[in-house]
Amino acid sequence: MLILENLKLALSAIRINKMRSFLTMLGMIIGISSVISIVSIGDTMRSVMADQYKAVGSGLAYVYIRSENGYYSNNESFTLDDIEKIENTFKDNLDYHVTTRSSSKVTVANGRNSSSVSAVGIQDGYEKVTPTVKLIKGRMIDESDQNGEKMNIVLEETTANEIFGNNEPIGKQIKVTFDNYNGKETKEMNVVGVYRSEQSAIMKLLMGTATKEAFVAESLLTSPDGSYFSPYFYKNKDTNSAVFKERIVNYIARIKNVKPENVIYYSAEEESGTIDSIMSGLSAAVGAIAAISLVVGGIGIMNIMLVSVTERTREIGIRKALGARTKDILMQFLIESAIISAVGGIIGTVLAASIVMIGGRIAGISVVIKPQVVIGAVIFSAFVGIFFGMYPAGKAAKKDPIEALRYE
Amino acid sequence: MDNKKDIKDIIVLQDIHKTYDTGALEVKALRGINLTIKQGEYVAIMGQSGSGKSTMMNILGCLDTATSGKYYLDGIDITKEKKEKLSYIRNKKIGFVFQSFNLIPRTSAIKNVELPMIYAKVGRNERRKRAEELLKKVGLGARMNHMPNEVSGGQRQRIAIARALANNPPIILADEPTGNLDTASSIEIMELFTELNNEGATVIVVTHEDDIAEFTKRIVRFKDGQIISDTKVVKD
Repeated sequence: MLILENLKLALSAIRINKMRSFLTMLGMIIGISSVISIVSIGDTMRSVMADQYKAVGSGLAYVYIRSENGYYSNNESFTLDDIEKIENTFKDNLDYHVTTRSSSKVTVANGRNSSSVSAVGIQDGYEKVTPTVKLIKGRMIDESDQNGEKMNIVLEETTANEIFGNNEPIGKQIKVTFDNYNGKETKEMNVVGVYRSEQSAIMKLLMGTATKEAFVAESLLTSPDGSYFSPYFYKNKDTNSAVFKERIVNYIARIKNVKPENVIYYSAEEESGTIDSIMSGLSAAVGAIAAISLVVGGIGIMNIMLVSVTERTREIGIRKALGARTKDILMQFLIESAIISAVGGIIGTVLAASIVMIGGRIAGISVVIKPQVVIGAVIFSAFVGIFFGMYPAGKAAKKDPIEALRYE
Repeated sequence: MDNKKDIKDIIVLQDIHKTYDTGALEVKALRGINLTIKQGEYVAIMGQSGSGKSTMMNILGCLDTATSGKYYLDGIDITKEKKEKLSYIRNKKIGFVFQSFNLIPRTSAIKNVELPMIYAKVGRNERRKRAEELLKKVGLGARMNHMPNEVSGGQRQRIAIARALANNPPIILADEPTGNLDTASSIEIMELFTELNNEGATVIVVTHEDDIAEFTKRIVRFKDGQIISDTKVVKD
């Protein structure tokens, strides 16, 4: 019950001298808001990064064969045959075909309207592993388009608008000019679908204005005699990453007759993990530096408490005369110190949250402010207040009532 | 009928000595004080500055401890008690009234009166009620939420008296209670003490003014650390 009284006393002490209380808290406010802002920005970025990897397909991985002597020949590349073998062996572990991810810069033209895009070769099921691709008209490239006579293409929404305007693109024919090392080659292709690329604002920011894509059958961009540097796979969720990695590396080593150490496996999952650790390490480091300002804030509180204790010497004498024990006075000033600190922490938290949220709204990102961080910050600031308040509170508690009453 | 045997000795001082040792100097503030005060008495402790009356008051109020001798307060042997226990004893047994009022600034009258009860761990509602009653009793029912700097000196002292009564202590100990008041207020305050004494409180007033001492029923005079006289006040 005495604690409640002391809480009320502390709050009224803060209220009585608002300016001084505010200046005292300033160190804590700045310290806490810096730490929370930095950690929240870090957490937000980590979440954005994680989402990006999810968008790409977190099961995405690829291998390539490293050459021992540094020269790359056909030994280190894959044929379509190899790729088919790999796909057949690991079918149950994959969400999508094993792909060469071939692409080619093309110009698509409808009459006088043309646009430059990157034609990416895909197979059926691509949109299932790539959440950023949202079909809005027609259909995606499927099984029937592979090795087919028909030349079908799926355009991106903005490209379709560019070359068709308000007209319906589905079913229309466009001229697609491929720029091979052989020279230019123009094919007539049918537009069978239109998709929208749903990239988050932050990715748009990071990627800049990347070349737009269009989708064609992968078979159009690959040939049975071709050599491909890396097969890409989309591992499904149920497959253990480590086991999969070992199996596929060993399999490829066997069929390509190379040493397993030279089969380099690279996964989005691992990369995402690495980036996440790096970012959290960075956040922690910068956060720790910001935390130094908390120490400064604490020293400021200690200073003001010392002044306050001296000013209230008479009051301490009166309280002791009326029955306050040493412990009571100690509690009174410790709680006051803790409250000033905690209120500073709360203000700092609100400030940080506002800044981060406003920033997030401007950048179009949904921010991550973890409640543990907020609660932790407020509790921590209360402790800073208690720690730095000990010395002044001790001084107050030890005052002799007779001398204190005589103090002018 | 007055049966002296039934009225207990509320204060018993036996051969009290107080010496201040300030390194080079040894000051003997009290040199062998023997004093008994019964419950319900109205006593003035008089003397010039340096007579030892302030030291006596501090010891009576358990703010200071004697160098030697015994002090029994309401049956408790004070000399045996630890410092922390003395806080408790002060809180329960003694109601202080100071010359400079010593109210907590920027705190309302009612909160000031509640203060001893807070340290006595009295519940919130009970505290509030009693504080209101006491302020009404001293005539300040209309000023409960006023700050000390918003009322006159006489009123401040009355708030202090209400505060002194908060835990219903057997002893009121007033140190020059009228020292900072004008004549009219001084009389009001002393009449208030008389009223409290009539209601059964033991009132001890430390003063150097004869006019003030005249309000009481017994005058104990100090000089050079010793009691030189202990007389009844004869009222004409």
